[in-house]
Amino acid sequence: MALMRGGRIATPAGPADAAVDAHIPLVRVTNVAKAFGATQALRDASFELRPGEVHSLIGENGSGKSTLVKILSGVHALDRGTVELGDVEVNAPRTPREAQESGIATVFQEVLVAEARSVLDNIWLGVDGLLRKRVPGSDKRARAAELLAELLDRPLNVDTIIEELSLSDRQACCIVRALVRDPRVLILDEATSALDVATRDRLFEIVRRLSKQGVGVIFITHRLDEINELGDRVTVMRSGNTVAVLDRGTWTSRELVHLMTGTDRLVQHAREESKPLEQRLGDAVLSGNGLRLHPERAAFDVTIRAGELVGVAGLEGHGQDLFLNALRGGGAVDGVVVAHSDGDEIVVGSPSEAAAQGIAFVPRERRQALFAWMSIRENFAMPTLDRDNRMGWLSMRATRVRFSHWAKRMEVVFGKDGDRITTLSGGNQQKVLIARWLAADPRVLLLNDPTRGIDIGAKGDFYTLLAQLVDEGVAVVMLSSELDEHVDLMDRVLVFREQALFRQVEHESLSRAELVAAFFGQDAASVVEA
Amino acid sequence: MPESATERRGEVLGRTRRLFVRYSFAFALMLAIALLIANLVKTPNFGWTFELASLAPLALAAMASTPSIISGGGGFDLSISPLMALVNIVFVFYLAPHGLGGVLGVIIVLVLGALVGTVNGLLIILARVPPIVATLATYFILIGIDLQIASSPRELQGSTWISHLAGTVWHIPGALFTIPVPLLIWFLLSRIPYRSMLYAVGSNDATSFASGVNVARVRVAAYALGGLFAAIGGLALTGLVNSAAGTTASSYTLVAIASVALGGTSLWGGRGGLFGSLIGAITIYLLQTLLSSFQVSSSWLEVVYGIALLVAVCFGGLVTRRRVAPA
Repeated sequence: MALMRGGRIATPAGPADAAVDAHIPLVRVTNVAKAFGATQALRDASFELRPGEVHSLIGENGSGKSTLVKILSGVHALDRGTVELGDVEVNAPRTPREAQESGIATVFQEVLVAEARSVLDNIWLGVDGLLRKRVPGSDKRARAAELLAELLDRPLNVDTIIEELSLSDRQACCIVRALVRDPRVLILDEATSALDVATRDRLFEIVRRLSKQGVGVIFITHRLDEINELGDRVTVMRSGNTVAVLDRGTWTSRELVHLMTGTDRLVQHAREESKPLEQRLGDAVLSGNGLRLHPERAAFDVTIRAGELVGVAGLEGHGQDLFLNALRGGGAVDGVVVAHSDGDEIVVGSPSEAAAQGIAFVPRERRQALFAWMSIRENFAMPTLDRDNRMGWLSMRATRVRFSHWAKRMEVVFGKDGDRITTLSGGNQQKVLIARWLAADPRVLLLNDPTRGIDIGAKGDFYTLLAQLVDEGVAVVMLSSELDEHVDLMDRVLVFREQALFRQVEHESLSRAELVAAFFGQDAASVVEA
Repeated sequence: MPESATERRGEVLGRTRRLFVRYSFAFALMLAIALLIANLVKTPNFGWTFELASLAPLALAAMASTPSIISGGGGFDLSISPLMALVNIVFVFYLAPHGLGGVLGVIIVLVLGALVGTVNGLLIILARVPPIVATLATYFILIGIDLQIASSPRELQGSTWISHLAGTVWHIPGALFTIPVPLLIWFLLSRIPYRSMLYAVGSNDATSFASGVNVARVRVAAYALGGLFAAIGGLALTGLVNSAAGTTASSYTLVAIASVALGGTSLWGGRGGLFGSLIGAITIYLLQTLLSSFQVSSSWLEVVYGIALLVAVCFGGLVTRRRVAPA
């Protein structure tokens, strides 16, 4: 079988030989199980990938998708079950290298780059042997440049050091790294979450072209619209089991959500849970006066009021992060941020002053905020430990009590509060982190894309929590890259464009089309529903 | 227009930053040139041959310490200096007196160096001992062996050519036959995939592993390479002192590391290079000669090393700092 030949990396997969084995699945996974310590990540997973199909793999975090993908990619070894590649039964590839030699190329959820190396080095990383090049240098350069130009729709100097690029471009390089290997099986594990919209669309074009040539694509995403757009079949996973395989046209979004979670709770209900805006809207708590995020862009004013839920939206890299950073006291090019407290106006000049004014900030990168080697309880209590002071001694019991209150309220699923935070799923880690800041009773909560990479169940809980918070009078400012969150959740959305506030959209006029139009600097009327 | 002036200034700063990022040894190089001029002014009859020969062991120790640091993952090799001493001792005590003071002896010590480096690498990779602990262990073991063999110093006998490494060969300073060897090997490594893999592994080992790089092999080879360079350093040392003594085993350990850091190699791995370490070693060496020509006591010398190291590393950090973090 051609699939198992080593060193086929440099030769493009022709459409002709793909047609030959169209009836034999490229990958067949049967009854695979895998445990990490006490956690059973995969119980009984079966999965089949045919040549030329885009097969979506969906499920909540902790349902086992990533584990399955990592077994196929040679990162993890399986405990039980079989993996067949073509008609060859192997006990799954033992190393990423073996996986690649079997024609499997993976783009992982994490944006994996060697920061100090050039784009070119990053793209061809791992193809060569230690002593011998497998692909000549000139071919490498040409292939990389060609695929990058196709994906980014603009040329990118392949000698650029990769850390100089934006997150989206870096992820594009990771995708090209998989593409240059001319895979038989392309695995995209949340590969689109770091991409900007236009690049994502071009990636989809490439995926369609590859699948026409017989390449099988395993596609993992948290965005149901992407599955509707691209998927030929969907395999739904829940708690380490594969629960359903659906063909195109036989699923609805609601049904998929139901299969993944066992419930069909959707975003919309969350906002209905909170009081009407007029009843909860309070006085101004935080305002930005004459804020300028870029020396050459316009300054703008913003006022955040108690009890409102404000969305921050825009295409990636258009100033949303800078805005949030300014609000937390991180400074801007121009202008001041002022906290209002009982009629007083206090200038917020640094993050510690912001914290003193009850402004809590939850950063985007979970890993930056986590103390990975510490317990769940310690991670929760770190900034508020002074509250557990009992006559000068730290009372672990007091911390426990405080944590159990928040754990209950936020429905954190955990074993013992002394377990390491890393034993939790991504969604639960995020809940603990948010609880950390809520425990300080903030007046303003700044969130940077809090639901990125967390599962649908956890998202639902999170939306409910937001509704409760605004009911209690907390002002929430939330940067989100998901349109649906803005449309369904926010009282008001600030759309950023080219490092400046471009438009404020009130809840009544929020729609996907309105937002996307604003992203692109246009009126809603001129753009079709996205 | 003030705005365009700001812009121009920003552009100049950006270009400088990129230059310093690309050539992380730039600051050390400027320092070295300044020190060289100062030395030449202070000591007009600067003896190039001798100075190069006394520089050689430090320069080679610094270069030998570099590959393991570049390989990342907390990579570090403390055993370079005692390994150089071991090579020196083995050559003087065993090889030269038994008629192996020639090519064969050189090959033997090079293999010995690479072997010790490989053992370090395997300890770190297979036994998962943190590099600093593993090489600290070999550091003590090697110092013990050095002292055991060479409890009393011994003159070199049976090999005359090696002293030319500290003298001249056809009017060329002998040190120019040792110092450039690692650089040459380093250059040749850039012609095969290994070197860029080493940098990639040092920059991000998870990425490299997931992309199919054999991270373990790359790292073990980095330690072996360091051991090989240390063996060359041992030969340069032998040429310089024409004797062997166990008591000098640890003399280059920390200055070598200081040279690497001064030369712009990141201790987090993935950035820097051999040439930078050479420049770093030259800087430290010239600082030493200059200060001793002013009869500054050697205890102050150590203080100056410390300050120079701090200034260089902080300056490098300041210049290469990004103005705005990318989103």
